[in-house]
Amino acid sequence: MKKTMKFGAIALVSAVTVSLMVAAPAKALNCAKPKATVTMLGTIKPEIQDQFLGAVADYNKSQTCFVVKSIPGDRKLTFLQNVTPMYAAKNAPTIMYTLQEIPDMADKVMDLKSTRLARLVSKDLLAAGNVGGKQVGVPSTAEAFGLLYNKTVLDKAGVDPKKILTRSDLEAAFKKVEATGAGAVRFSSIWWSLGAHFSNMYFSTASKTKAGRLAILDGMADGKKDLASDPVFKDYLATFELLKKYNQSKPNTTDTEYDLSVKDLATGKAGFWFMGNWAEPNLLTASPKTDFGIMPLPMSNNASAYGNGSIPVGIPGYFMIDETQSTSWERKGAIDFLTWLYTSPAGQKRVAGPVSSGGMNFIPVYKGFTIQPETFMAKEISTYVTSAKTLDWMNTFYPAGGQDLYGASGQKLMADKITGAQYADELEKAWKGSVKTWRGEKK
Amino acid sequence: MNTGHKVRKFGIFAALPLAIFLVVLVLPFAQGFFLTFTNWNGFKYTEFAGIQNYTKSFQDDAFWTTLWFTLKFVIVSLVAVNVVAFGLALLVTAKLRSATILRTFFFVPNLIGGVVLGVIWQFIFNTALISISQRYSLPFFQESWLNETNTAFWALIIVTVWQSSGYMMIIYITGLISIEQDVLEAARVDGASAFRTLMAIKIPLMAQAFTISLFLTLRNGFMAYDVNVALTGGGPYRTTELISMHIFQDAFAFGNFGTGQSKAVLMFLMVATAALVQVSISKRLEVQR
Repeated sequence: MKKTMKFGAIALVSAVTVSLMVAAPAKALNCAKPKATVTMLGTIKPEIQDQFLGAVADYNKSQTCFVVKSIPGDRKLTFLQNVTPMYAAKNAPTIMYTLQEIPDMADKVMDLKSTRLARLVSKDLLAAGNVGGKQVGVPSTAEAFGLLYNKTVLDKAGVDPKKILTRSDLEAAFKKVEATGAGAVRFSSIWWSLGAHFSNMYFSTASKTKAGRLAILDGMADGKKDLASDPVFKDYLATFELLKKYNQSKPNTTDTEYDLSVKDLATGKAGFWFMGNWAEPNLLTASPKTDFGIMPLPMSNNASAYGNGSIPVGIPGYFMIDETQSTSWERKGAIDFLTWLYTSPAGQKRVAGPVSSGGMNFIPVYKGFTIQPETFMAKEISTYVTSAKTLDWMNTFYPAGGQDLYGASGQKLMADKITGAQYADELEKAWKGSVKTWRGEKK
Repeated sequence: MNTGHKVRKFGIFAALPLAIFLVVLVLPFAQGFFLTFTNWNGFKYTEFAGIQNYTKSFQDDAFWTTLWFTLKFVIVSLVAVNVVAFGLALLVTAKLRSATILRTFFFVPNLIGGVVLGVIWQFIFNTALISISQRYSLPFFQESWLNETNTAFWALIIVTVWQSSGYMMIIYITGLISIEQDVLEAARVDGASAFRTLMAIKIPLMAQAFTISLFLTLRNGFMAYDVNVALTGGGPYRTTELISMHIFQDAFAFGNFGTGQSKAVLMFLMVATAALVQVSISKRLEVQR
């Protein structure tokens, strides 16, 4: 049981710390065939678009067999919205990148089990990209979310994040920050933040074991789980209310919220922000000389409660390679590009190097990385990972579109449009009848 | 004219447009209609599902909420767009020196695509108006209108009126200038006031323009999508989703292609019925000259 409990620990320790193996350069390919164009939908994440396109350009220069081209897609649309018309037009991208839609794509993409990349990642990290024994995808990086903080603001307020172990400790820290004139916490009313990440705080701490957590998802899908009577859910709601009470801004559901939050944490108008490490490049761009850290969001008033001192660490997405509309030569190019990106020194520099020098600041999950991210937050995440203080991303198992619903309910709770009890009802209703993809069920 | 000649003439003039109409409209529609009876997952279907997709659509609370919201939007936007457009048409057909400039000025928003317009207005509501009203302590716009369901609804209406009234204005202008001068002169000689002329002569004689404009705004209201996506994105809390966006979300965000497609068919039936009723009523009010 313990093994599965510490999924992040086992998986990421090997990935983050075992970087002694020197990566062998990719074998030179025999380019007898004409140059193939390998298309990829998107740029992994919009935040690191320039850096990813830089990596693509580097790869295209490094060899003569393939040309990788990123198709922008429409960012306002979901993965399925982008990809279904392309499949219908017999124009599917060779490389695709997603998380919750992996089960939808399983029968259209390659089995990557025997690739070099799959052998360089631990089994646990491959799990979410495995559908019925077929390795549908390989991971991109590890990400973490929790309470981000501005170290300068906390130092000024005399708050040591390491000493915040319970919800009441957190409230005391909020008060100390407010006493300095800064806002305590930014609690963003962004649907995906509330729908995928904040809601995960309940699902990942609802049981100490993975089997127990999946059983809770079963209960939600069957419509049998009563959230209101679950003490962990009560703690979850109390934490929600605490962040709401000390929220430095009024609930803002518009598209401006993310940028405004980055600005306020970066300039010290707020001490904390519930978000993830993907925001670190944005924060450092806004305030390059400040240290931004990450700490657990304590849910319980009992310091030893499961998950109180841990941060959720998981894989934000998997690369998949189309098998139905691409040529074998294109597929070969796709594999070659991804292998180059994660195993060659030039690719690794792009993946894990700092944003300021064209890197994506990714936390490596593949063995053999010679470069590690050097930022304050990345180092903190490594500490949580090496000391096995990580929680699952149960949101990996959320049904497609589910986070839209949980997020909308979270926004309503934040704006006092509904009560905690109504919020619980809405979550139960949204989950009822969901296909149990975590049990291998198909739509 | 013999039959062969007729067929040839038909072939020359109608075959191409008819073929395009068939390929881009009739066939996809028929295919879409067919798919509502299957378990289509966006990529393929494996079995027939009967009317299951339709029953599921009817059972979906969100579908009804969205439909009600769309109905409100259609009614309010229909009235607002036409009142403003007719007002503008009267303004620019009055003997003003700046009439031509104004005409162009009012028409320009129509040339901007819905998504671009949505993004521009999102900036206006979220940022520009807020900083202005905070600076001058104005009571309105202290908070973004897109942050609350009621105000977001009015934001949608404002942008729709802004976008469509210029186009409808052109139709009303055509109606107004097609009225024979002798009728208007006769009215003037009889001493009819401007208001009386408008109500008793101009409006009845240009009823056709109303038929067209009302039909277009009705249809546009039901089918509004781009401004919806770009301006409110359905938010806050998915309460400003219009029916087109709801269908799109159902199919592509939640992966429910079956119900999404059947809701699209239902929407077609509703729009078609509403439009037929409206056109037949408006037609009765038209005056034959």
